[in-house]
Amino acid sequence: MIPFLLRRVVQSIPTLFLASLLIFFVIQLAPGDFLTPAKLNPNISPEQIAALESNFGLDRHPIEQYLLWMKNMIFNLNFGLSFQYQQPVLDVAIPRVLNSLWLVLLNLIFFYAIAIPLGVFGAVRQNSLGDKAVNVVLYFLLGFPSFFLALIVIYFILQIRNATGWDIPINGMTSNGFDAMAPLEKVWDVLKHLLIPALVLAISDAAGLTRVIRGLMLEVMRSDYIRTARAKGVSERTAIWKHTFRNAILPIVAGIGGLLPAAISGAGLTEVVFAYPGITPMILDAINTQDLYLIAGFTVLGTVLLVIGNALSDILLAVVDPRIKVG
Amino acid sequence: MTRVTTVPTSTPVKAPVRSQSQLSVAWGQFRKNRLAQIGGTMIILLYLMAIFAPFLAPDGLSNYSTSNITRFHPPTPVNFRDPETGAFGRPFVFKYTQQLNMDTFVNEFKPSTEKCPIYFGVRGDSYRILGLFPGNLHLFGTGQPDCKVYLMGGEDLGRDLLSRTLYASQISLTIGVAAVLISTLIGLFMGAMAAYFGGFVDTVIMRLVEVLASIPTLFLLILLRSVFPKEINPILALYVILGILAFINWGGLARVTRGQLLSVREQDFVSAARSLGASDNRIMIRHMLPTMTTYVIVTTSLAIPATILTESGLSFLGIGAVEPYASWGSLLKQAQDGGLSSLNTRPWVLIPGFFIVFTVMCFQLLGDGLRDAFDPRKRS
Repeated sequence: MIPFLLRRVVQSIPTLFLASLLIFFVIQLAPGDFLTPAKLNPNISPEQIAALESNFGLDRHPIEQYLLWMKNMIFNLNFGLSFQYQQPVLDVAIPRVLNSLWLVLLNLIFFYAIAIPLGVFGAVRQNSLGDKAVNVVLYFLLGFPSFFLALIVIYFILQIRNATGWDIPINGMTSNGFDAMAPLEKVWDVLKHLLIPALVLAISDAAGLTRVIRGLMLEVMRSDYIRTARAKGVSERTAIWKHTFRNAILPIVAGIGGLLPAAISGAGLTEVVFAYPGITPMILDAINTQDLYLIAGFTVLGTVLLVIGNALSDILLAVVDPRIKVG
Repeated sequence: MTRVTTVPTSTPVKAPVRSQSQLSVAWGQFRKNRLAQIGGTMIILLYLMAIFAPFLAPDGLSNYSTSNITRFHPPTPVNFRDPETGAFGRPFVFKYTQQLNMDTFVNEFKPSTEKCPIYFGVRGDSYRILGLFPGNLHLFGTGQPDCKVYLMGGEDLGRDLLSRTLYASQISLTIGVAAVLISTLIGLFMGAMAAYFGGFVDTVIMRLVEVLASIPTLFLLILLRSVFPKEINPILALYVILGILAFINWGGLARVTRGQLLSVREQDFVSAARSLGASDNRIMIRHMLPTMTTYVIVTTSLAIPATILTESGLSFLGIGAVEPYASWGSLLKQAQDGGLSSLNTRPWVLIPGFFIVFTVMCFQLLGDGLRDAFDPRKRS
């Protein structure tokens, strides 16, 4: 397993390197440089700007600048300075990334809890009334942009709130007076705020996966070894969950790695609608203020997450599918 | 003169069985798929709606009064019966007046008793259909600038939401499709280059594909958009977003094209063409690329709805279509203005979203139908 992991890491280095190159030069294309907004800011003195300029090597050749940026990132974990927040990018970004991760993790739990039973149900009871009803609803959901679904859900929650007076949280991540709460109460409060965005996101994403699982299950169910399993008398439950399902989900496991960053960037629109303090709202702010180091930092972090996710899914695939040799 | 007819002794010559091309087989399959045909028809109707949007819309794209501000004007019901006599007559809407509610300090719209009759074919804002044919005829309207029909209510500047939605369809329906077509061309070209030249070019292109795939899509979109200044010309902003969407989506197709061409290159029909002395260009364009037809048709038709969704998301975030132009996504943005809790006082701003859902579903039906039509396992 360890040599396999090592090889996976080594393989991803060129990709990461080239991605960082692309990100850096895309940012170089942007009008002005990192310090243009700072120069207009009266709170930053010219000496500070000169210090920053030499610090980031902005007076040097772009290639040198890139190497400096890379050196700072790799050896000092220094992604540069966010001008809007006047703090190192990492200090600003990490809490946001964690916030997004909580949302995405809860969302993934709902995602699989919805998609797997529905997909298996659709395959086992193919063309039954339930299957057809589920199919129609899912087809309808496929057309919904996640943010639009979220807006509709919010509209109905507002109606419920007005009618019953329940305080269903739909905004932000914490209630007022969060700091004064006991630790368990804090967890519960955050969970309450996460619940609806995560569920909305899961429902809008699950439509695609359910259809895929249904199709894969149907394909595997027609294969000879399932007939053999049934013929030798295994129970229906074993035939479906152990023999069919485990084979049917292999392509899905192979795609899990992409889910982590895809979910983070896909959660973006939902975060914006629910005013959740995740990554995307901050990036959008960063665009408005031309806070380029922050954008670059988030993009690099997202890319690293994606590469890690891909490696994870390779490992998972090796665990689930014994035909894949590891090492 | 009588005509002598001889009974033919031999059986009539049968028409030779014509072999069917792949496309005609697929067309035959497609003709059997009712849902896909409905999807296709609806798409054609949507495009007709987009082309004739200026005529169908009762108002101009960006028409609002600065003296009589109708911010979030509620939808005006169309009445057919006279409230006093109860007689049916020409449809009309009531003129709305605004009053500040002194308890809540919210501007309230109330219908007055003044009636504004609706006429068909009124003269109003001038426009050009497809940029060529000028006109100022509108399908319906009251012809009075201070008493308009708001079938879908008004938006944050008091412009008619129905008109904005119809105009927005031009952008929403164009950007998604154009971006997919361009990225298909890029993908085919890059894949063919990689397969044809091999070596260094191949490595560079495939690495680029990998790198593009390794950066999360939304971040890449935002990053690329941030290269251009926020306040660029609105028309240019549309082209920018079109270009960005086209640029990030070609990777998958390039990879498949390369793989397909590499495997086809070794096949007999290519060697036959080569030994007949066909040029490289001819082999590539007439013999090798056509093997991709099915794949390209199916992926393109399924990529279009996905790209329409992405475009609506970007416009919703405010980095797609910008004022004065609108797309369905940017029209939904105003649902958020002024805090979400005021959403239930103006639910009509959600209506443009259903246009997205409807369009995407039609494209999905069409794409699924095409995929099934080309899939030999699903033939009946």
